[in-house]
Amino acid sequence: MSLIYRRKANEPSLTHFLYDYYGEIAPFVKRIDRKWLIPPLVALKTIEWSIYRWYRTPIRRFYGVKGNELIFMITRRCNDRCPKCGIWEHPEPVSQHMPVAHFLNCLNRLHENLYQVTLTGGEPFTYAEDVILIAREARKLNVPMVVVTNGVLITESVLRVYHELRHILVISVDTMDKDRWRLFRGRNHFDLVMNNIRLARAILGKSLRIQSVLARESEADIPAVKAYCEAHDISHNVQPYMDFGGHWNSAGKVQAANFACAARKNICIYPNGDVVKCFDHHRIPLAKEPLGNIAKEDIITILCKKRATEVSKIMKTCNFPCKQLACNIPTVTYNP
Amino acid sequence: MSVLIIPCHIKTDWDVNCLNRLLYSVKEQTRPFDSVYLVDDASPIKYPLNFRFVKQIKLPQNGGPAKARNVGIELALGQNSETILFTDHDCILDQSWHEQMSGFLAKTSFGAVGGMTYSWGETLFDYYHEINGTLCGKWLLPEKKELWYMPALNFGMKADVAKEFIFDERFPTAAGEDVDICLRLRSKYRIGFCAKAKLWHDYGYRSTWTGLKRFVRLFMKYKSSSATLYEGHTVLLWDASESIYQGNAYEPHLPAKGE
Repeated sequence: MSLIYRRKANEPSLTHFLYDYYGEIAPFVKRIDRKWLIPPLVALKTIEWSIYRWYRTPIRRFYGVKGNELIFMITRRCNDRCPKCGIWEHPEPVSQHMPVAHFLNCLNRLHENLYQVTLTGGEPFTYAEDVILIAREARKLNVPMVVVTNGVLITESVLRVYHELRHILVISVDTMDKDRWRLFRGRNHFDLVMNNIRLARAILGKSLRIQSVLARESEADIPAVKAYCEAHDISHNVQPYMDFGGHWNSAGKVQAANFACAARKNICIYPNGDVVKCFDHHRIPLAKEPLGNIAKEDIITILCKKRATEVSKIMKTCNFPCKQLACNIPTVTYNP
Repeated sequence: MSVLIIPCHIKTDWDVNCLNRLLYSVKEQTRPFDSVYLVDDASPIKYPLNFRFVKQIKLPQNGGPAKARNVGIELALGQNSETILFTDHDCILDQSWHEQMSGFLAKTSFGAVGGMTYSWGETLFDYYHEINGTLCGKWLLPEKKELWYMPALNFGMKADVAKEFIFDERFPTAAGEDVDICLRLRSKYRIGFCAKAKLWHDYGYRSTWTGLKRFVRLFMKYKSSSATLYEGHTVLLWDASESIYQGNAYEPHLPAKGE
């Protein structure tokens, strides 16, 4: 289902404007010591507020502080059937898979702001040719790329090209037990993935990383994954389990993190080109529908929409548990 | 050793008068600067310079205040200065401005410092800017122990910081380039506030009855720069802040504990 952006339905309400205006004026009025000057000064403050609120500058430029991460869910399709994830349960129809050219255009438009482009899914290597095209373009633009994969579809030839492009590959591993692997992945390809990890380690070296999801179901297995990574000198990263339609449970009560959501950091693209600020966007009423679609609009136009700003403002204080994921942290930290 | 950098683009007699007024206040400092660089950003008019202590650098092409300041920074670093201070030609320094700014940087662990800016004029607009804190910088909330940003007209950095962070020359005008450097700088260092380092800024309003157009244009210029900055700074931009004015200048009891 393609979500169509309906501007009117999502415009901030009158209450919101009044609240914003009051929030500016009230503290300002308290600063005025000559009370008879309150009316003209409030009028001036209103002019200032209105300029910041309504004045559309002739050029709204992007400029190159590399502070954004572009995250592309290249597909919902996956060859695994992991219970931790529900994305594979709703694969996009072939007709809704966006031509890669649209994403390459988006990458070109944004590259001066990007410290990283991340491909996720589904299983990104379902569209291995697209992954390589994006990897080449990212290298050309000097943007580091990370692909998060289940490790099933990677081949030596793909790895060699990927190595030349000096990008990072993250393979998802939640257990080192062959029997539990089948439970965790819904498929019996433990040996295949382990072989691919060894191959990837040999070709990519330090550019290979392993990521585990910490859930009640995987809690006991993660130490073995960590030990494996240490033994093979592979960086290991643990992400807390989040509800993306899966059927696992959090390892413990998710604590409200005392840091803010990276509301202005992430630019997320769905397989059909829909743009959101976060893949958990749907939890915010104003953001139930995407900000736009890169197959239909320029990405900068989309990000400069008033609603994009409003959504970012709400995200600053949304306090959803997903802000504890690595994509919310400016630079992903891996174990040394 | 400390250096003062003044970028300027002199277009009118009013600018010339402002510059002379500033340089006179520079001359009257209780602690003299080791060097004062006036970086002329390809001014369209010629003007006399009657202060011998000023080293004038003329840029062949107009590149904006960011570029002009960077030229000054390069010269300052070349002569191993420890403190690099910035102001604008339409400012007037308090006699102890340099003493306070350099003293603050020397005694604290802050990487940069901002001072207290007052309005020079007496129109309603000047009063507005003074209580609005238009060019006074912003506290980083909630603690108010460091600054979110400080405009470059009342700003200083340690030389080590300037080696890592210079102005982004892609900002073509005097808007946004100071916010940008502060946001980048804060990824590593803190910006402190020295309320005793006072200066006055002349917004150039001739009267309360004729200043509205200038007032609107000023904020339109700032809005343009904030749109440029908006998506550029993703993490730091949305930290809560509060503009500084006289009423909250001393609230945080700086310097911080242990400094």
